[in-house]
Order: sequence, then C-alpha cells, then structure tokens
Amino acid sequence: MSEKVHHLQLEKGDVGRYVLLPGDPGRCEPIAQLFDNPRHVATNREYVTYSGYLGDTLVSVVSTGIGCPSSAIAVEELLKVGADTFIRVGTSGAIQTDTPSGQLAIVTAAIRDEGTTSHYLPMEFPAVASGQVVDALVEAGRRTGANTRCGISQSKDSFFGEVEPDRMPMASRLHDRWEAWRRGGAICSEMEASAIFIISQIHGARAGGVMHMMGQGADTDPERALLLSTAVESLRVLIEQDKAGAVWP
Amino acid sequence: MAMSTTDNRQYHIQVAPGEVGKYIFLPGDPGRCEPIAQFFDEPRLVAKNREYETWTGFLDGEMVSVTSTGIGCPSAAIAIEELVKAGSDTFVRVGTSGSMQHHIKPGDLGVIQAAIRDEGTTSHYLPLEFPAVADLDVTRALAVGARSLGKTVHVGISQTKDSFFGQHEPSRMPVASRLDERWKAWMAGGAICSEMEAAGLYIVASTLGVRAGGIMMILGNPEQKPMTEAELKAGAVENVLPAAIEGMRELIRQDNGK
Repeated sequence: MSEKVHHLQLEKGDVGRYVLLPGDPGRCEPIAQLFDNPRHVATNREYVTYSGYLGDTLVSVVSTGIGCPSSAIAVEELLKVGADTFIRVGTSGAIQTDTPSGQLAIVTAAIRDEGTTSHYLPMEFPAVASGQVVDALVEAGRRTGANTRCGISQSKDSFFGEVEPDRMPMASRLHDRWEAWRRGGAICSEMEASAIFIISQIHGARAGGVMHMMGQGADTDPERALLLSTAVESLRVLIEQDKAGAVWP
Repeated sequence: MAMSTTDNRQYHIQVAPGEVGKYIFLPGDPGRCEPIAQFFDEPRLVAKNREYETWTGFLDGEMVSVTSTGIGCPSAAIAIEELVKAGSDTFVRVGTSGSMQHHIKPGDLGVIQAAIRDEGTTSHYLPLEFPAVADLDVTRALAVGARSLGKTVHVGISQTKDSFFGQHEPSRMPVASRLDERWKAWMAGGAICSEMEAAGLYIVASTLGVRAGGIMMILGNPEQKPMTEAELKAGAVENVLPAAIEGMRELIRQDNGK
C-alpha cells in the first residue's frame, strides 16, 4: 500500500525540512535550478515538487497553486512527510503608493482576508510569520543586494476583487477595506500567506514569505531573479543557524 | 472637539509634548510606574490623571517615560494615541499574564510577537482579519535583553481579552461553553499567554506607524489552578521589570547603531 500523501504524492524522505512554496507550478523548476543536484520528485494536480541540496542539506520546492484552499493542503501534507520550515515565494501587488516596482516584501504577518483559516482558528487569531524566518530573509536580502521592505500582507481569495473591484457588486466594501489595509500599514497583496502562517503556527513549524511587489515603474528580469536567489539564500541562512543550534533571537 | 489644551496637554493623560521621551514603558497598573521609574536616571513624576500616571527620566542618556494604561484595550488605546500626539514612537508593554501552555511556568517571561484580538476596541480601527503584530525590532530586543539576564523567554502569541473573569472563572458565565471552546482553540494555536492590552496597542501602533512590543511575567497555568508558594514567588511582577529595562536599553543601542 502506498504511503504517499494524497494530493502531493510524496512520501517521507522525498522532501527536506526546508521548503520553498511558490504558487505557480512553472516556477518550481527555475527555483530548483538554484539547488545542487535538483531532481523532479512528483507532479499531481497543481502540485509540482523538486528536491535538491544546499551544501549537504536536502531542500525542496513545492507549488501550492493559487489561493489558501490549495496552499493549506500543501502545507498539511508537507508537515506529514517531515517538512517544518516554509518560505512562500511569489508575486504580489503593492499596497503602499510609494512602492518601487521590484522591491521585495518580506512578510511579517498576514491579513486573513480569505475563507480557509477560519476552519482552523477564530478570526481574532493573528496570522504571523516566524521572526527567525523574517530575520533570515532580511539577511538573505543583504547578501543578494535585493531592495527589501518588511511588513504585513493581505491574503485575499479573489484576484479580480483586487484588480477590478469596480465591477464587483460589493465594490464599495472592497474599496473601503483596501483603504483600511493601506492605512493599517499593509505593504502587499497576495493569496496564500495567511494559510501558510496559521497552519505552521498550529504545528509549531516556521513560516515566512518573500514577495516581488508590482508597484510603480516597470519590472525587470534581474529583479525577478533576485526574488528567487533571495528566497534560496534565506534557506542557507536558516540551515547555518540550525546547524549551529542557534535559538532565535 | 479639540482634545488637548492650548499648551497641547493631552486630554486624558495630561502630558504635553516635551514631557515624555520617544521610548515609553506601558504597565497596566499605575502603581507600577514609580517602581519602573526607579530604574531611570533623574526620574520625575510628570502627570497623574484617572488611571494614567506618567514618569520621565533617562536610560543611557536617552529620555524615556513610563505611562500606565489602566486595565483593558479601551484605556490602553487612549494612552498610546495621546502619547503619540505628545511625540512618542516606541512602546513596550510590561505586566503580568496567565500561562496558556503547560510547559510555560510562573517566573518565565513571555515576549508578545502578535496578539489574538479577543477584545472590542481594535475593530473600531481595522477589520478583524488584520493581524495585531508587534514590531520585530522591539520583539527581538526584548527577547535578547531578557535572555542576557538569564531569564527563560518564550516568544509568541498572546490572547488579548476584555474579560478577566471570563478567563479566570469561565464556568459561571452564561457563555461558558463558548469561552471554554475558544480557550482550547487558542491553546491549540500555540498561544503562550493571556493578558488584556497587547492587541489594542499593536493595532493602534500599526495605524499610527509607530513601534510596539511587549514583555510579560507569566503567572498561573492553563487550567486556572491556584499557584504554589514557590510559583507565586517566582512570578512576582518585580522580576519582569529588570528584563523590560534591559530590553529597552538593547533597543536604544540598536537604534543608535551600537
């Protein structure tokens, strides 16, 4: 009988403790190219998994698909096969108007503007990243030379509710809430962080996220490359700390 | 309605700009202000009105203050709002809290990285989906400062509640089963401690673009059983004050690039 988890089609040993989580299955291979000896492990539905090495440590990249429902499944099943450190990596919309395009958001906490996490914990509970992962991403940004900014992300369920709010029957509520998030200091809008943070928190696992922000001005390819290299570098920082037995902070 | 006098003395806290530092300690209890101020150089009483008592002095040459918030988010939100108007921008909540995990014992310290918004004040600011999260620089400095004194430190999430007796005597409340169910959910979510002001301070700080964090003495246990004599002694609130002071010193050093 197969021991594989149902959706990801993985079993223990297939993935490392450290997992990068892009939304897009098409981003797994480019990320895996930054590992040593990358190999494709599984593809099922929107879930593509590659594993490889950073030094002598096994690391993996698994796509979550779009949204918290599929991301929650990915994190749950990765926990079952032994992963305990998750870094979301992807693209987001800028919320603050002074954001230069290509700046990387390091997500410290997430607005639970989605329907998945209330199946886990009441809405009052904060979706918060691991401080150690946040610090590791900041250090990684220093090493890669990325322009980073720490802050809160909006995790929403409706992409078009963000980008085309005026055509929604509840347009005024969407506008009001967007303005509230902006005035609360949120920096970016994406669709998965809150579920990754809430589920990790419940399991005592570590989670964080780094997001390319689409803001003012054109994106460039080097900026996209910096997103991936910064995410991978943050795993190196965490691996170094874990090997040294460091307690954060 | 103008909520300050002609000299900009704030309505509730009765503090004017220049009378407080950028760095503020926020205990709940007005009676804790003077003991905290005794750690300052040149401490002086600045104002006293309602539950708000303010002292100002210096730590390592930096002007710092302590202002009591009273119990609960309604009065704590007023305190931080008016302190920002008076020129402050960095807040450290210090006080006592109840343990929410069996391995977290009286005498341990909790550094509150984020808070459960189990209260009524912050929904006047932001929808409930928005996280009440501390500034990470403040959180890191408080943990580093406390550890440097040899304290056992837990960094994590607190429950910020509006009802003290809803936590301590839930069975006598008409909504007992709901209180019990939610308490268990917070525990399963890994919350470390229960107190009554952090969410209010963190959400208001986020909207004002200022920094906040918190360090708490841990008392009690998740079942609300009486504490032993030894636990009461370990959990004396005086034991958290040196750690809070050291955390603020660490933060001031970091801010000054030292």
